[in-house]
Amino acid sequence: MNINATLISQAIIFAVFVYICYKNVWPSILSIMEEREKKLSDGIEASKKADDALEEAQIAFDKEMEKAKLEASEILQKASNRASQMVGDAKEKAEKEAEKILTSASKSVENEISKAKEDLRQQLSDIIIDASQKILNEEVSKEKHDAVLRRAAEEL
Amino acid sequence: MAKELTTQSYINHHLTNLTCGKTESVGWTCDHNYYNEMGFWSYNVDSISISILLGFVFIGLFKFIKLNPAHEKPTKMQNFVEMCVEFVNENILSVFGPTKNKLIGPLSLTVLVWVFLMNLMDLIPVDFLPEAAKQTSYAMGLVDDPNDAYFKFVPTTDPNVTLGMALGVFILTIFYSIKIKGLGGFIAELTLHPFGKYAIPFNFLLESIQLIAKPLSLGLRLFGNLYAGEMIFILIALLLFFQSPLFGVLGLGLHLLWALFHILVVSLQAFIFMVLTILYLSMAHETPEH
Repeated sequence: MNINATLISQAIIFAVFVYICYKNVWPSILSIMEEREKKLSDGIEASKKADDALEEAQIAFDKEMEKAKLEASEILQKASNRASQMVGDAKEKAEKEAEKILTSASKSVENEISKAKEDLRQQLSDIIIDASQKILNEEVSKEKHDAVLRRAAEEL
Repeated sequence: MAKELTTQSYINHHLTNLTCGKTESVGWTCDHNYYNEMGFWSYNVDSISISILLGFVFIGLFKFIKLNPAHEKPTKMQNFVEMCVEFVNENILSVFGPTKNKLIGPLSLTVLVWVFLMNLMDLIPVDFLPEAAKQTSYAMGLVDDPNDAYFKFVPTTDPNVTLGMALGVFILTIFYSIKIKGLGGFIAELTLHPFGKYAIPFNFLLESIQLIAKPLSLGLRLFGNLYAGEMIFILIALLLFFQSPLFGVLGLGLHLLWALFHILVVSLQAFIFMVLTILYLSMAHETPEH
């Protein structure tokens, strides 16, 4: 248990191991640790950036969405206005057309009626003349009594 | 012819190093009977060999594990190694502060792990290695009596080992003191405190005592703690001399209890040695305030 040269040997051995550690052990471990630390902090940074970007994108998306919704409702409003206008126009036009058709139809009916009346008158007068001729046995000539007959026809 | 085994010889055997040295009468020898002739230039072969072995265990553990590159998942062993390095770095940062000194890290790591491993030898049951050494050296014909073969396997219970390391730290302290403060600054620090320039001899006396007390206490603290721990293990082991089952069980229980407690001492002393190493070096880096 006395102090002897072991003391000096041990100091030298100590120095040698410290030197080995200094040269070979410490730097390799530390460099890996530092590199990983850097990688991790870079990764955290990047993910933070990505988060920010995502948030920004979300905000932009919301804005666009809002705008689109507004536009859509405007378009809808316009379209419905236009549609109601078109319906109104069409209605008006149809009514006019219908009226026109009605008038022309009633006119043509009147014409037909008057034409039929004329025909009937003519035919009646012919029948009367015929009948009268037969009754009077040729005494009455057509030419003679034409004026009388026309008067009669007009009275019908 | 074997000597009779007494409690005293048992304790003595456990506390004696395997020392080799040069003697006048028989030249180089490791025989303990010539111990007194060896003088200073003798070597505790057991302490030296075990400490070198453990040093290589440390280097092997930290150097030859598979270190995955930074972008890969670290292996479990790598995690452990990095944890140690991190721990050392944290302590340096808290005691030393940010420093550009590149030696302090590896130095502290070596101190921590190496001292821890040497202390850890204390947890090997006290008789295993000495008994093995006895039998081997007797079988190999190195000694005539197995009880003359000594082997003390906890290097830190040898003051030469702890003081040797403290000496290393001491030399580094002086080296950095002179490097940072200059030779003049270092001498001024030794002579001009605490009483100014009119009391230089007295100052020098005080400061030198302080300077030398640091490594001495550093080495003796570790030695004392481990030596005491080892001593208690030996004393507990002595209970078995009574050859009664009661003492046997008691010895076993005490052994377990002390070993559990000693785990704390082992790691704590390694940690303290490291922290003090850092502290002394940081004091060497401090520039004087006045």
